[in-house]
Amino acid sequence: MIEVRRLTRHYRVHKRPPGLAAAFRSLFRRVYETVVAVDGIDFDIGPGERVGFLGPNGAGKTTTLKMLSGLLHPTSGEARVAGFVPRERRAGFLRQITLVMGQKQQLLWDLPPSETFELNRAIYDIPVAEYRQTLGELSELLELGDLVKKPTRQLSLGERMKCELVAALLHRPRVLFLDEPTIGLDVSMQATMRSFIQAYNERFGATVLLTSHYMEDVAALCPRVIVIDHGRLIFDGALGELVRRVRPDKRIELRLSKPVAAADLEKLGRLVQHGEGLAVLQVPHAGLPEVVARCLSTLPVLDVSVEDPPLEEVFRELYQRVPATGEAGGI
Amino acid sequence: MRAALRSFPTLLRVGFADAVAYRAEFLIWILSTNMPLVMLALWSAVAREHPIGGWGQGKFAAYFLAALVVRLLTGCWAVWTMNYELRQGTLSFRLLRPVHPLLHYLAENVAAIPMRGLFALPVAAASLWILGSGELASDPWSYAIFLAAVLGAFAINFVSMTIVGCLGFFVESSLAIFQVWFGVYLLLSGYLIPLDFFPGWLREASAVLPFRFMLSFPVEVLLGRVSGGAALAWLGYQWALVAAMLALLVITWRAGLRRYSAYGG
Amino acid sequence: MRRYLRLLYVQARASATIAMQYRVDFLVQGAISVFWVFIAFVPLRVVFSSKAGSVAGWSYPEALVVLGWFTLLKSVLEGAINPSLQAVIDHIRKGTLDFVLLKPVDAQFLVSTARFEPWRLTDFLASLGIFIYAFTLLGRAPTPVQLAVGLLMLGLAGLVLYSLWILVVSAAFFVVRIDNLSHLLSSIYDAGRWPIGVFTGAIRILFTYVIPLALMTTYPAMALLGTLEPVTALGALVAALAFSGAARAVWLLSLARYTSASS
Repeated sequence: MIEVRRLTRHYRVHKRPPGLAAAFRSLFRRVYETVVAVDGIDFDIGPGERVGFLGPNGAGKTTTLKMLSGLLHPTSGEARVAGFVPRERRAGFLRQITLVMGQKQQLLWDLPPSETFELNRAIYDIPVAEYRQTLGELSELLELGDLVKKPTRQLSLGERMKCELVAALLHRPRVLFLDEPTIGLDVSMQATMRSFIQAYNERFGATVLLTSHYMEDVAALCPRVIVIDHGRLIFDGALGELVRRVRPDKRIELRLSKPVAAADLEKLGRLVQHGEGLAVLQVPHAGLPEVVARCLSTLPVLDVSVEDPPLEEVFRELYQRVPATGEAGGI
Repeated sequence: MRAALRSFPTLLRVGFADAVAYRAEFLIWILSTNMPLVMLALWSAVAREHPIGGWGQGKFAAYFLAALVVRLLTGCWAVWTMNYELRQGTLSFRLLRPVHPLLHYLAENVAAIPMRGLFALPVAAASLWILGSGELASDPWSYAIFLAAVLGAFAINFVSMTIVGCLGFFVESSLAIFQVWFGVYLLLSGYLIPLDFFPGWLREASAVLPFRFMLSFPVEVLLGRVSGGAALAWLGYQWALVAAMLALLVITWRAGLRRYSAYGG
Repeated sequence: MRRYLRLLYVQARASATIAMQYRVDFLVQGAISVFWVFIAFVPLRVVFSSKAGSVAGWSYPEALVVLGWFTLLKSVLEGAINPSLQAVIDHIRKGTLDFVLLKPVDAQFLVSTARFEPWRLTDFLASLGIFIYAFTLLGRAPTPVQLAVGLLMLGLAGLVLYSLWILVVSAAFFVVRIDNLSHLLSSIYDAGRWPIGVFTGAIRILFTYVIPLALMTTYPAMALLGTLEPVTALGALVAALAFSGAARAVWLLSLARYTSASS
């Protein structure tokens, strides 16, 4: 569905140093520098896949999404989406895709969302029957109710995002580009959006490419993740695999009936948390069964559970670990 | 107050850097201020065969070029800034700062003058000299009065804009009110038509209205049509108007701010 | 084609609904439109009363006809063109222009029909009033042929005005803060309230060939008054088409640059 080869994007930024003299000089001569946003990435995404696109701020995620949706011309390299070249922006291509950007909306501000829906219907030339059916299904999945009749400016952020999703999906696109769709939303709304995206993907078989900073989004939605940093692709595979590679540790959470000295706990593994009747140890995956056995035999354990370290930590470590000149697949 | 004044130079500097950064916008504004040139063409066409009402083509040229110079030096956009900030709610941020918003607007507008001066004044001033030097005032004092008059014109322009901007606290659209004010300004300031050409009663009325002192008066001084004692007297009148309008501004601002805070900003 | 017509209808309806919401604004703006028409009269009156007879070969009623066309086109400029321009500027500022570019509809069309301001109808009606007044003064009415040519010139004038606007919007892609662009367009257009004969030399050439104001107001007036040479009319037709072609090319070029240059 999506094929990317050596996709690259540079752009020129003009440097504007502070100070009055510099400001005056920039009237007459401007200094430019080249910023490499995306540096030769390759990947393939099949139809119906849900892929998380991750990376620190400024890594090039949004730039890549924009190139895939045709909004930006790549400096070099190729991309094909649904068989089209995005840059050409053919009508056929534009009908197959949708881009949802968190914090930016296409809904008309002074009018109810229903007006925007009507507008999109006219733009995408959707037959009435199909329009009604799609609108009905989406409204039901998102529990819109009467929201669509209130002017957009009167809706809360969460309600607006729901309507935004509907507006973006009315034309039943086969490819969904979602750029930080849950940003700024409260926890329950994030959960709603996640389950909706998953339901949509399963029901309509649409391909989903999602960027997000929220680990829960990624964990819940994306069996496969692509990680890019400084414009380079540094990981492409299953999320579990990523965790294993970056943090091949497990966490053992112990409930203790009696307080145990930190020194004793440290003998078993790295002590991450130590409190009232609670201790969390971090141990390498390899020696896990032994450590658990020793905990159970030497410590006054009430309860034990074994988990992966939180994703946040994994990613923090990942972003710190990769040097600026890392190579593709560098983990 | 003193703190605010101390920060004024910085505000000016920032305003100037801003102006330089958005140089394209300023170029556009300068290009938009072309009405005096259009009116010049028009009136020159009227006076092509022979002078009208004692005005020949040279006189019209001098008048409208002077008007252009004055307009470029005294133009400001405070009313649009205020309207925008009220609409967007960003006025609240300004109010949180230790600098009075009005001083901020003033700094922005004043700081833009050098930019405009850089682009447009040389051209306008040169044309004025070439085409209409015979029309310029001969008395050196007139030039000093001219500068004071231009300053006064800027003050009236700025204060009137901010007063209208303050009306935005009470009315949905202060821009609508400004349009009416601007329309009257076009007629009665001498921008479109030298005030000499109005019928008697209108000419007498326009002589004392503030509009004349936003444009026509400085031009009259520059062209030597008002000089010496009379010029000084009118200058005094101009600045009395400035003082009165400032008082009105303070009143309107305070009242507006009360209302703004009452409605939760 | 039918799709585009329906899209136009939907956009117009959306604009009308929005305008209806701000009802007070609606009325106020309508009143102000009328106010400006009156303001426009005054210089004309003063100029012509200061000198008996004609100015640059145009009599008072004839100059009124030019003013009429000017007002009519102004209603189009302020009612359709400027609001859409403002909408585009807002889009660029908020970063939502991308949504426009993502739609499978010609971006130029979407952007041109984004917003209308219905109260500008008062300008339109006022211009009709001016025509009636002017021809009453002249003591005659335009012949059907003159009327037809006049309408043709109106179409060309609209095309030129629209093309001018497309050029301005294309510039909006490059210049960061262009709130004043619509102001610039209006101010240039403002010179069109006078018959082109008023201008001489370089400015006349500028306003005839570079920014075709002459085409927009003077030529339609001449058509109605029966003083338009067929050669000029033909030249105007060619020029208008060429201008609009150039504008479209600039738009497409700017769009391409926007998609390559922005981030």
